[in-house]
Amino acid sequence: MKIDIGPITRIEGHLNVQTTVENGVVTDARCEGEMFRGFEIFLRGRDPLDSQQITQRICGVCPYAHAIASSMAQENAYRLSVPPNGRILHNLIQGANHLYDYLLHFYQLCALDYVDITSVLEYSGKDPELSRVRDWVRAEIDSGQRYPATPFLPRLSGRYLNDRDTNLGAIKNYLEAMSMEKKANQAAAIFGGKFPHATSIFPGGCTQEARVDLIVPYQSLISEVRDFIHNKYIPDVLAVAGAFPEYWEIGRSRGGFLSHGHLPLGPRPDNERLLAAGVMFDGRVEAVNFDQIRQHVNSSLYSSPTNLQVRDAAITPQPDKSGAYSWIMAPRYAGKMVEVGPAARIMVDYAQGHNQAVKELTDRLTGRAGVRVSQLNSVMGRHLSRAILAAVLADFLLEESQRLTPGEPTMAAIDPPASAEGFGATEASRGALLHYIRIENYKIAKYECVVPTTWNASPRDDQGQPGAMESALIGTRVNNPEEQIESKRIVRSFDPCLACAVH
Amino acid sequence: MFNRRDFLKLAAALAAAFGGGQGGGLAPQARAALNKIDPRRVPKLLCLQGLSCTGCSISLLQAETPSAMSMITQYSQLVFHTDLSSTSGAQAMELINAFIDGEAGDYVLAIEGAIPEDMPSACIIDHKPFAHYLERAAVTMSGAVAIGSCACDGVIPAAEGNPTGAIGLAEFYRKRNINRQVINIPGCPVHPDWVWHTINHLVLAGSPKLINGSPEAFFDRRLHEHCPRYYDFQEENFAKKLGDRGCLFKLGCLGPITFADCPTRRWNGGHSWCVNANAPCIGCASPRFARQKSLPFYRLSEGKTSRRS
Repeated sequence: MKIDIGPITRIEGHLNVQTTVENGVVTDARCEGEMFRGFEIFLRGRDPLDSQQITQRICGVCPYAHAIASSMAQENAYRLSVPPNGRILHNLIQGANHLYDYLLHFYQLCALDYVDITSVLEYSGKDPELSRVRDWVRAEIDSGQRYPATPFLPRLSGRYLNDRDTNLGAIKNYLEAMSMEKKANQAAAIFGGKFPHATSIFPGGCTQEARVDLIVPYQSLISEVRDFIHNKYIPDVLAVAGAFPEYWEIGRSRGGFLSHGHLPLGPRPDNERLLAAGVMFDGRVEAVNFDQIRQHVNSSLYSSPTNLQVRDAAITPQPDKSGAYSWIMAPRYAGKMVEVGPAARIMVDYAQGHNQAVKELTDRLTGRAGVRVSQLNSVMGRHLSRAILAAVLADFLLEESQRLTPGEPTMAAIDPPASAEGFGATEASRGALLHYIRIENYKIAKYECVVPTTWNASPRDDQGQPGAMESALIGTRVNNPEEQIESKRIVRSFDPCLACAVH
Repeated sequence: MFNRRDFLKLAAALAAAFGGGQGGGLAPQARAALNKIDPRRVPKLLCLQGLSCTGCSISLLQAETPSAMSMITQYSQLVFHTDLSSTSGAQAMELINAFIDGEAGDYVLAIEGAIPEDMPSACIIDHKPFAHYLERAAVTMSGAVAIGSCACDGVIPAAEGNPTGAIGLAEFYRKRNINRQVINIPGCPVHPDWVWHTINHLVLAGSPKLINGSPEAFFDRRLHEHCPRYYDFQEENFAKKLGDRGCLFKLGCLGPITFADCPTRRWNGGHSWCVNANAPCIGCASPRFARQKSLPFYRLSEGKTSRRS
């Protein structure tokens, strides 16, 4: 029986998944990306310095990752030498964006799959926020409207948390997380100018200055967010994991893992990074070679040639292409499917014994949950991975901000050449992000983005291999085949961003 | 998060606070009407996304006073938004269709993103083109708000050479001879205040005064006119390279042709805004934002390109 479970909400953008369900088990899944704008087409012929601005508009959830990838691609193309302050500001802006994104994902995008919002009706304590929520939900339910208490109701059938205190604590933290997300974004905006869509990020650094009256407010905001991560976010993830232990097994993707590495520890993009790059198959990690990435389009709505390298990328839309079911392409590494994202970032770094803070926290928290590190490849594993990364990152950002030298330059002088090419690779919160730019006669001749959700939500490739998310869905037991809260928990654990995936 | 009685008290307090203020000022009859507000008439927002990046929705979450959560539970009700709604799939479509068919009460249609006029299948919701919902909603909605520059004017997805023929909501209705007014709130992204205060004005005092289709309170002046670096401009103290202080005009700042109140409103809780970060305004609230290849954001390579090419 074929059942569409879209439109899938609490993700970014337009995604349907067509599932086949037999005897209560998902036997097939097809991820259908349903929105296309054509960035790589309309970037052609533009001034190269437009690109870190235009590509941010691929995604308003993680725009800074695109600004950084684009800046790195141009730095690579222009052979720019970035002053230390410039790279540090890039890291501070992008890192703060990750903190907000992890909190947004767990609380606003996923918590309602586990937390029982109606438990607030039983609240009898004195907390003003919870009392307000209770009164609001009650008034809504009493109002006789057809759809009361939207957007929190209606909801799908399924098992929700039944511990009253855990539910109430999570609802309170849902609200507090929203204010923490703002603080993380305010910190980023101090140097970025605004969030979303920073105007201060350029190849070569950042136009904002490294001033004490900016650094200290940044640190103050990040410190507050850091405390929330340790005192609320990590305990909440562990509480949900404790109540839904089956999700350490559910939602396992069946391929390798790819990370481009996150946050260079020196001015050059090829300096060591806070999180190490690598591609991992069967537990073995190799260095990433961009030439091994090829994008398949047999199942995608394009008439352009398939199996092209990033440098040779082409994109010609063909909305009526038969046999194709998604606007998303299918990138593959050395012909193989990989998952990207928080679990991949941790597993790739951990396997190389690279970042000691990552190793220590991963060991401690997987130990507390009673699972193996390899089980980060699961619904709960992806949630825990984000929490681990948030904690490591918050500490790093506070240290990194102290490395700024007030008064020293934050920008390199930019002089784009007539022709050049460059790659820029970083980690968006959702995973490995690669930009490629080729400049001819001072204009963009080719621009190509290989984006996290393009990897994760990819359709079948030319060999018929499913994408990471498709593979994680196949084999899932579902109680209500029409609704499939289980499948949606799997999809959301990847934090898909369709605007990124297709662009 | 408040019950109705609280809402009435707050609405009254708000009205008092707004009294006489420019743009938010309440006419006496509107103020009197406030006492009669039926909270069930709090506007219900049905948010749908077209060719968008979700940046405007994310920006709306950055609101400070009131917070986004207060806005969607107290000052308005968010009946559907793909990023926040608990529901999904067929259950979500039942809700969306009930509103669009006029069976679930009054609602305001809030659109983020552009419409792919030449390639309808470039934006699909439940197997149907985005346009399908906009056409049906035109019959039943109380009003429409275009949130962000894409929904207003197409901008980024409508950039020169785009393959989808992206257009904004007002043009979409114009092309179909559908006579529905759209309140345009541009910006890439929108400032949360621009949207939420417009919604508040709609409920407390009716439609705000518009200028070129956008709320006058936020879009009546060029950025340049109230830029704190206007003095630098007058003194010809121009930034010569990126990262310099001073007036950014010679680097390409589009403040002189962009209507928005960023210099006084500032962004993200007032912590900064573009020019404050020495970043030239790229005109993201302008209808022509990012449209032309021949008009790059920055003037660094402009002369060089024309000289050598």
